Amino acid sequence: MTAVAENKPAYDGKVLDLTGKSGARAFKNTLATVLIVLAFAVAMIPLLWILFTVVSKGYHLLLSADWWSQSQRGITVRRAGGGAYHAIMGTLIMALITAVIAVPIAILGAIYLVEYGKGTRAAKVVSFMIDILTGVPSIVAALFVYAVWITVFGFNRVGFAVSLSLVLLMLPVVLRSTEEMLKLVPDELREASYALGVPKWKTILKVVVPTAFGGIITGVMLGLARVMGETAPLLILVGYSKNINLNPFNGFMGALPTMINQDRTELALPNAADRVWAAALTLILLVLALNLLARLIARFSAIKSK
Amino acid sequence: MSVNRLFRVGSVAVASLGVLALSACGSDPEPAGSSSPDSSTSSAGAECPKGTLNAEGSSAQKNAIEEVISKYNEKCADVTVNYNPTGSGAGIKQFNAGQVDFAGSDSALKPAEMTAATKRCAGNAAVDLPMVIGPVAIAYNVDGVTKLVLDGPTAAKIFQGTIKTWNDPAIAKLNAGVTLPSAPISVFFRSDESGTTENFTKYLKAAGGGAWTGEPAKKWTGTGAGKEKSAGVAEGVKSSKNSITYVEWSYAVDNKLGVAQIETGSGTPVELSADSAGKALAAAKPAGTGSDLALKLDYATKAPGAYPIILVTYEIACTKGLPAEKTALVKSFLSYFVSKDGQASLTDLNYAPLPAEIQTKVEAAIQAIS
Repeated sequence: MTAVAENKPAYDGKVLDLTGKSGARAFKNTLATVLIVLAFAVAMIPLLWILFTVVSKGYHLLLSADWWSQSQRGITVRRAGGGAYHAIMGTLIMALITAVIAVPIAILGAIYLVEYGKGTRAAKVVSFMIDILTGVPSIVAALFVYAVWITVFGFNRVGFAVSLSLVLLMLPVVLRSTEEMLKLVPDELREASYALGVPKWKTILKVVVPTAFGGIITGVMLGLARVMGETAPLLILVGYSKNINLNPFNGFMGALPTMINQDRTELALPNAADRVWAAALTLILLVLALNLLARLIARFSAIKSK
Repeated sequence: MSVNRLFRVGSVAVASLGVLALSACGSDPEPAGSSSPDSSTSSAGAECPKGTLNAEGSSAQKNAIEEVISKYNEKCADVTVNYNPTGSGAGIKQFNAGQVDFAGSDSALKPAEMTAATKRCAGNAAVDLPMVIGPVAIAYNVDGVTKLVLDGPTAAKIFQGTIKTWNDPAIAKLNAGVTLPSAPISVFFRSDESGTTENFTKYLKAAGGGAWTGEPAKKWTGTGAGKEKSAGVAEGVKSSKNSITYVEWSYAVDNKLGVAQIETGSGTPVELSADSAGKALAAAKPAGTGSDLALKLDYATKAPGAYPIILVTYEIACTKGLPAEKTALVKSFLSYFVSKDGQASLTDLNYAPLPAEIQTKVEAAIQAIS
């Protein structure tokens, strides 16, 4: 045995070395690493480029308090001044109404799919319909609501109609993410609860939903972020107004995407161009703030594991 | 545990709502202009109603109406006027569907549209009110050429594609003493359906002496490369040498493009100005019946000093049949629009004011709305 051990150094270098010193393997490894890093860099280029352009061109208007507290009333494309208050409030109001309608339906739907309807025919139909709804483009959702709200019922174009079409877009996003979160809750928790004699509805309310709460909130926020940037429903279902209108059931209403669209054709004029960039940056910041809020809520509400 | 967690979630939510509540105290900006002391000179619409007026339509008059709304609000602060520049066709549709109180359009109501509009106005006729004259410039970008003269047939041939280079004898003949490059002409056109295209092709058809073979339409049928909207074609000409396009005057000015003078056959080439565009409108004939003020433009006009390529944009309103408070708002705003004050603010934006004769007619038509 010792002889063999003593012989070993003589073979050194010829023995297949598995510690990663082989030239071909090391090369492949490096190549793959480089390619992955490159792919990441390529993916980052447009993102950083967009962010840098929007921030550098839009930030200076955002620094003034007027931007956050004034409307565009009486400000023509050639004039400087005014703010995005009307559009920010319009976007927030429409998003809030959308959430109030879509979130309960989505969460209750997800609870049904995971807790009650598993494997039943009804659940399969619902699940299939949600898949279809996920694929509906925003313009189709907008035209559908236009047909119902305006053509059939004869109502006027208002912010609430926009919210209705955004519900169609937000519902599948929130429902799917909530469903995934509920599926992640271990069955042992439910079984433990049942073993203690807790009824099913109370188990869902006190054990399952609280456990998945962080994930559900994240899903809701992501859904909101998705619908806040939608433009098609705004173009079709409500007129853009430069004035402050906080009533979603009456009159035209400003929103950030349509504010961008309004002055988009006037980019030869510096004041209008500045406002377009600033409105774009404001929209990005709003969505970012929502995402951060979602993270914050998810962190604070996370179940502490021992 | 769970109570604790809910409390923390609650506090985050309350904090974020608080941020929202803090920001919930927005206002309108102070009017930029000083108060106009001579606003009492306009006889019409002296009193200010209260309320909101919604309008939609032609993007060609967007800048004009926005300026007028801004000026109007200095006088009547309690009226909110919204204008959505979604295009003439969309404006008429929304007006006929009862979604807006008046529409802006680059062309007068067609018979079928008039029928629908009459229905919308509870059985009363709608009226076409010429309000803004938007001259269409033939804008070009050629190095060293600061003055370019074109006539109808030459312009038609360029945009049709039968004249291909800048030093073509037809162009050279009109521009004696100007060194034209031998480079090919690149033409840009509006790829979207546009009232500007329609009016421009009407001019090419009327003044082109048969060189323009297509029919006037909102969709371009000539040669060239398509760009979206006025901003697109203006940007196209600005960024490529030896190019030419047709575009609203204000876009040509804002982008600092050369604007061709038009030889109409009057003997001296006509330069585009508010004055020369107004003269062409004065040569227009009424096309509407009764109190309707739709105009038939004479694109082939040879009147001295009249710039023939203009676009008249109308406001389309009900003569009767709107609710009383809406009628008051429409009358008040449109009266201001057509008044001297209203029209005077348009010249700076490269629109042409209405000639006095037509202005009087429009004022009378607005007063007749009830």
